[in-house]
Amino acid sequence: MNQATVPLLELRGISKTFPGVKALDDVSFVVYPGEVHMLIGENGAGKSSLMKVLCGAYTADAGQFFSKGEPVAIHSPADARKFGIAVIFQEFSLVPYLNIAQNIFLGREFKGRIPGLIDHPRMHREARKILDLLGLDLSTRTLVHELGVAQQQMVEIAKALSQHARILVMDEPTAALSDRETERLFAMIRQLQAEGVAIIYISHRMAEVFAMGDRITVLRDGKKVGTRLPGEATPDELVRMMVGRSVDMSYARSFGRSEGEIILEVQDLHSDHGVNGVSLNVRRGEIVGLSGLVGAGRTEVARAIFGADKVTGGEIRLFGQVHYGTPDRAVRAGIALIPESRKAEGLALIRTVCDNLVLPGLAKAFPNRLYQAAKARRIARDLIDRLRISTPSPFRPVQVLSGGNQQKVVIGKWLSSESKFFIVDEPTRGIDVGAKAEIFALIDQLVQQGAGVLMISSELSEIVHVCDRAYVMRGGRIAGHLAREELSEENILKMGMQHE
Amino acid sequence: MNEIAMDRTSPPFSVTLARVPGVAWILGLLLIGFTFFSRDFLTGANLHNIGLQSVILLILALPQTMIIMTEGCDIAVGAVLTLASVMLAWVLVHDGSLPLALAAALAVGLVFGLGNGMLVALLKMPPFVVTLGTMGVAQGLALIVTDGQSIVVNSDALQAVYGGNLGGVPIPLLIGVAMYALSHGLLYHTRFGTYVFALGGNAEALKLAGVRANAYLIAVYVLGGLMAGLAALILTARMSSGHPTSAIGMEFDAIAAVVVGGTSFEHGKGWLLGTLLGVVAVGVLRNGLNLLTIPSSAQVACIGLLVIVALFIDGLKGRK
Repeated sequence: MNQATVPLLELRGISKTFPGVKALDDVSFVVYPGEVHMLIGENGAGKSSLMKVLCGAYTADAGQFFSKGEPVAIHSPADARKFGIAVIFQEFSLVPYLNIAQNIFLGREFKGRIPGLIDHPRMHREARKILDLLGLDLSTRTLVHELGVAQQQMVEIAKALSQHARILVMDEPTAALSDRETERLFAMIRQLQAEGVAIIYISHRMAEVFAMGDRITVLRDGKKVGTRLPGEATPDELVRMMVGRSVDMSYARSFGRSEGEIILEVQDLHSDHGVNGVSLNVRRGEIVGLSGLVGAGRTEVARAIFGADKVTGGEIRLFGQVHYGTPDRAVRAGIALIPESRKAEGLALIRTVCDNLVLPGLAKAFPNRLYQAAKARRIARDLIDRLRISTPSPFRPVQVLSGGNQQKVVIGKWLSSESKFFIVDEPTRGIDVGAKAEIFALIDQLVQQGAGVLMISSELSEIVHVCDRAYVMRGGRIAGHLAREELSEENILKMGMQHE
Repeated sequence: MNEIAMDRTSPPFSVTLARVPGVAWILGLLLIGFTFFSRDFLTGANLHNIGLQSVILLILALPQTMIIMTEGCDIAVGAVLTLASVMLAWVLVHDGSLPLALAAALAVGLVFGLGNGMLVALLKMPPFVVTLGTMGVAQGLALIVTDGQSIVVNSDALQAVYGGNLGGVPIPLLIGVAMYALSHGLLYHTRFGTYVFALGGNAEALKLAGVRANAYLIAVYVLGGLMAGLAALILTARMSSGHPTSAIGMEFDAIAAVVVGGTSFEHGKGWLLGTLLGVVAVGVLRNGLNLLTIPSSAQVACIGLLVIVALFIDGLKGRK
């Protein structure tokens, strides 16, 4: 790559704020023709936001794009495409009941000789050429819903290639690919590079970053930390640049090695949603972290243990008993799952605080199956006091509460069921800083009462600050275990990014 | 050893069977059943009859297929057809010109199609609720225009539409064939059709591809309205009158035919030939039950069962 060439695109001072979060903070970024520009950072560092600004899906609050010294306006996906930016998203933008050729050329169909009709033969010919370049041995007439995940990813790549883009943005393109397909993709990238196409490549894999990158830019907390050449940087240095997120949470626990009995023991767990041989355990009185980068399979482990996904192999022991089956069995066995998306899975939004709080404990509170409003109210009032939920009354709908108070209801409702094992998935997502500390204090309270907690979090700093020990996942497997004294963001990232 | 060798040379019989769509099974069983139970069923005159009776249903079911593929539905179609038929008869009685009368029927379809489409696409209202509302509006207007009475039409031109032939083929059948060909062309050979698949399958992808998805969504409902207007021509000709309750409940037959034909309310999965087979299945069922002198109220129950059986067969095949 020739550094002296004129930049293809220059981003200057890009900022983007969402309520409560500064997703991008004064990021400047230069893209040269024919380079592979690696973009790395831990979860939530701003990689995806930057990509969405680039492709016109987000409009930046501040900052400008320049090309050849001239400002460029990119305010919509159409603008981005006109400029020659194509994006390969991680979540697929394919239509299941259209064939491969139709998907590749969606929105850009070839016009036939008869006005209004599509030139299907030409579309299949052109699609064939692109599939051949990628070494993809599939009929262009195959419907996309018949393809596996890796093949869909390849079609997604073919779609981006067909746009003859000058800048190609890829978000972890190899996440779903086999080694052979990855090799093909890399060969393709090198070929495009030779033709002068710039590639912005988001990766979580250190090996890729060094093998393919011409330059490496590290983001942290929405800010650019720096850009390095692969020859000048070491993996350790990059990891150090990625970590050190500002932590402004004020909570403290007394950590210690729990000598309590083992509550949950998972041996070689497999599920139909990509859990691939996971073994872990949780003892009474400890918070165990389940960490890893987005897509490593953390939530899937929780769902498999809870019985929401099908377990295809391995063993789960709860309080020494073999456990299997459906979510209602899991609840009866004493597992409480506090899910990632509290609005979709954790709360009945239009029902009252009281109803939500009492729900999981109904069977225990009312053993003869008759609902007594007065008793329900007593339980709810007691919980509202204990959890310090700020609500004008127990009878307001949950949806009027703040995110932090909603989350307290989600966690608190399980207190009334007297569960002894909790899986907490991303407990602080979308919650402001003040409430975070309270949520953690609440989780700590559960542990002090003799419960065991398995906590999933994308925020590495949370895992480091809250957990007694942690497992790090990668690709549906446990990549490693970190005891309290080894627990650092740096170590988690090293394990999670396939390096050493 | 022999068994293994056989397995390699030809796929097991059960696999071959599983490839036959559910609607074909049902149609085959119905044909065999009615042939067995009624001597009058498998005659040239009766098959001709089934064809004529099914044309209106086909014209309604074709665009309904596309609407359902966009994860929508149009339950107003029976009422819109009724109103269009009434308007067509009214214009014929007052003016006498068939082209003007057809234009009035198509205009009714256009207005309702546009209204449904805009409410669904622009205001993001649920299609079921939108078309439930417009169903009431169309039905009410039909009763107001006619004052609850039939509008009897004495028009040779209109008679010719239903009774006429072109090269020995009845005109309604020709219209049905033409509409099937038109729908097939639209769905499989134009951008519009490609985007119908995308609207139900992944509307977000369509928008990211820079396509004005809402315009196409409105167009699907407009097509449904226009086709209902055209169907009004055949319906009015068949009855030589416009009656304010003539096509009430037709949306049930239309949606049933589409679903029996294997089109899904999810993921943009749809099949136009399946809808044709579904229409024939519903037509054969109605006709056969008539021959067996089973009252029309019981026929509705049978169509309901047909839908459930079709979904059950497809569900069995979906499972491994």
